[in-house]
Amino acid sequence: MILEKKLLEQVLAVAQSTGADFAEVYAERTLNDSVHLLDKKIDQISNNVISGAGIRAFLGTRTVYASTSDLSREGLLRCAADVAAAIGEGREQVSIRLGERMFPNIHPAVRISSSVAGSVKTDLLKAACFAAIEYDDAITQVTGTLVGVDHTIQIANSEGLLTTDRHIRTRIAVSAIASDGNENQSGFYGPGRGMGLEMFDFIDPREVGKTAAAQAMVNLRADYCPAGQMTVAIENGFGGVIFHEACGHSLEATSVAIGNSEMAGKLGQKIANEKVTAIDDGTIPGAWGSVNIDDEGNPTQRNVLIENGVLKNYMIDRLGSRRMGMPMTGNSRRQSYAYEPTSRMTNTYIDNGPDKNEDIIASIEYGLYAKRMGGGSVDPLTGAFNFSVSEGYIVRNGEICEAVRGASLIGTGTQILGDIDMVGQNLERGQGMCGSSSGSVPTDVGQPLIRVARMTVVGRS
Amino acid sequence: MNFDQMKETLLAAAKRAGLQEYEIYAMSERSVSTETLRHEISSFSLSESGGISFRCIVDGRMGYASTELLTEAEMEALVDRAMDNAKSIESEDEVFIYHGSEYYEAVNAPVEPIPDAATLKACALLLEQSAYEAHPSVSDGTQAGALAFECETLLCNSHGLELHNRVGSSGVYIDAVVKQDDESVSAFEVAKGGDADALRALATCAVDGARAKLKASRVPSGATDCVISGRQMRSMLSAFWSMFSAEMVQHGMSLLKGRVGEAIAASCVTITDDPRRAECPIQTSFDGEGVATYRKSVIEDGVLKTYLYDLKTAKKDGVVSTGNGQRGSYTSPVSIAPYCFCLEAGTTSLGDMLAAVGEGLYITELKGIHAGADAVTGDFSLEAAGFRVREGKIAEPVKTFTVAGNFLELLRGIEAVSDKVAFGYPITAFASADVLVRGVSVAGE
Repeated sequence: MILEKKLLEQVLAVAQSTGADFAEVYAERTLNDSVHLLDKKIDQISNNVISGAGIRAFLGTRTVYASTSDLSREGLLRCAADVAAAIGEGREQVSIRLGERMFPNIHPAVRISSSVAGSVKTDLLKAACFAAIEYDDAITQVTGTLVGVDHTIQIANSEGLLTTDRHIRTRIAVSAIASDGNENQSGFYGPGRGMGLEMFDFIDPREVGKTAAAQAMVNLRADYCPAGQMTVAIENGFGGVIFHEACGHSLEATSVAIGNSEMAGKLGQKIANEKVTAIDDGTIPGAWGSVNIDDEGNPTQRNVLIENGVLKNYMIDRLGSRRMGMPMTGNSRRQSYAYEPTSRMTNTYIDNGPDKNEDIIASIEYGLYAKRMGGGSVDPLTGAFNFSVSEGYIVRNGEICEAVRGASLIGTGTQILGDIDMVGQNLERGQGMCGSSSGSVPTDVGQPLIRVARMTVVGRS
Repeated sequence: MNFDQMKETLLAAAKRAGLQEYEIYAMSERSVSTETLRHEISSFSLSESGGISFRCIVDGRMGYASTELLTEAEMEALVDRAMDNAKSIESEDEVFIYHGSEYYEAVNAPVEPIPDAATLKACALLLEQSAYEAHPSVSDGTQAGALAFECETLLCNSHGLELHNRVGSSGVYIDAVVKQDDESVSAFEVAKGGDADALRALATCAVDGARAKLKASRVPSGATDCVISGRQMRSMLSAFWSMFSAEMVQHGMSLLKGRVGEAIAASCVTITDDPRRAECPIQTSFDGEGVATYRKSVIEDGVLKTYLYDLKTAKKDGVVSTGNGQRGSYTSPVSIAPYCFCLEAGTTSLGDMLAAVGEGLYITELKGIHAGADAVTGDFSLEAAGFRVREGKIAEPVKTFTVAGNFLELLRGIEAVSDKVAFGYPITAFASADVLVRGVSVAGE
């Protein structure tokens, strides 16, 4: 327990004392620890304790949010009084009775970073980075980070909910630079899981380093990608960033509820090829984007967003639920207590489809095979997205040919959903940090190999 | 929050631990923000946070730890954690706790008090209302906001250096959504605030900006003469400034290694970093290591004059720190960053630049900067929007095309710089005038 039940009841009562119809307290204690390697040596180790609370009140669809790192009784009551003063003007006697509720822990962690000896972590990071350094003489620089997060939250609200959760996550990331003396090219790989260092029981750190180095080497030897309209095959894993950016953000209540999404008002409509089924699932055990409960205290769930091409659901937080008149979906998230939560993705992916992967490549006369994707961004209002291809190859007569670099893919969400015409069968997920108004949160993206019939490829030749 | 008390506890714990060189860096921040939707205040947020970082040198290695939990027991634990962390560091770079600069020039920015909630809300509502009044096509989804913050920083160390900084500022923004014939477009404007007339002007500017984008067409592919707006050039600087960081240079991650004194840009290009400029978002007289800050030219008339340094990288290159060793927050270690990184104004008016282009593009939007630009390689390929330039004048809007190139080639290819700088105050540390570049690689239809 971060805060005593009695204190929470008082804080909620003060927050509601001027007429708010709902109040909530979110308290947090997080230990972030990280190890960093540069120039073959561990050059930075840090650990930071994040501790504070956010208090929120609703009056209809108006919200007031206040956060503080002062968890003393006086600090919290003052913060609640600020919320009350900003949300209403009346004066009401409110009495809150909290009942404790625990949700099952479906993401148990074993070896938590903060309680493991420093040398274990530095050895893992060095194994990854040295595998990259030794991959090729042209690899001139490698940086690596191993991050462990131990995140405990407590949520109480005026409906009587009192619950806590502890979420552990671990990520290793390696960046490699290859140079031929005239120019530099880079490669990156950064897998993570919603678990402790037991992640390395099935992720070999050396493979992480090699993957980053191999990508840098491919790019160093590649020519610039040609530009134009072409058929594009996007590989599994982090390739799913296409759905995340192009469609996922447009399905968040944050934009849908106020009409700022091209997906608003389209429930039940066919918005994609019937081969496309897309899911947001925060319950996948040990996944990077999974949590037991969301940041409003609702258990996460498996939400089918698009089923056989038909739009089935959005991702909805409490405010979105009030604005849209639809149930919450366990998607409320925030980076920390300093952020008011909003609807966000968890693990979002396109499910396996009917096409064989080899048929997808064989079907392309001339196009681009995007083996690995970099990041991207989207304007939910227009659905216009762009993202970079970090490892790509030209496909000619059904065969994957020479590597090309510097490509980006652009388009709009509705257009690409309609243009995905083949969906393969090797679903995998990749990890990223997603940024939005409630800060940066861990999310998985994913898909099998897919084919997009026609896409704008940005290149330099 | 009682920093003074925590400071004494920490200093005592550091002495007990036998430490000779250590530093405390504390920060507290207070901010207020509000946002409108459909003629009402939809959200109002207040935030108070603060924390302490402790770093110390053990056997020539620097260890860091930070916390927001301000209790006496935690202060003791903080010293232990920082010492533990130092022991696992392998880097042999010389590290420093600074003795202090001779002179710290005071900052000249007034510290504005945080306005009361009613003023802030009224400001946001007026801004939103003004947008709706500016044109009937303005539609739901339009949002206005107002925000204010103040931030206090304290640095003290074992050499008796004690420095204090306080900044406070405010801003307003409007995201105007315009709908016409099933097409929705938006435009975003941000400013420091001001009176009712200034707010109305800002709203009108956003609405006009959005309306100008309606019915945009595509552009043909090929090498195209372009004027890149100051706002977009400022985004490019934010993506590529790290090329100028001595840390990146020394670790082989910058194309500028060994090129100080060389002409790396066109002679009309001068880039400065000025921590005391009125438009600098966080004015400070000292950096995150306690080094005095000052104005410097990074590129002067096209010639690379210096990298940006902190104490560690300056020692390696045998120069003095440029006062750019910043702490993003108490949770971050010292890292090199600019204050107000600005591609300075030239002498040509925007109109003359467009006339010089004749037939080409005026680029007013670049998207996906964080993904489509790589500071290590200098390469960029970005989605863009803007206007056709025909007969030397701004003509119809264009969108969904891309521009690609290399940042250093772009700097070399700048033919003219406009006489007006677009500052990102109060939200970004980057600024630039408009630039004219010939033969930009454009991919459209």
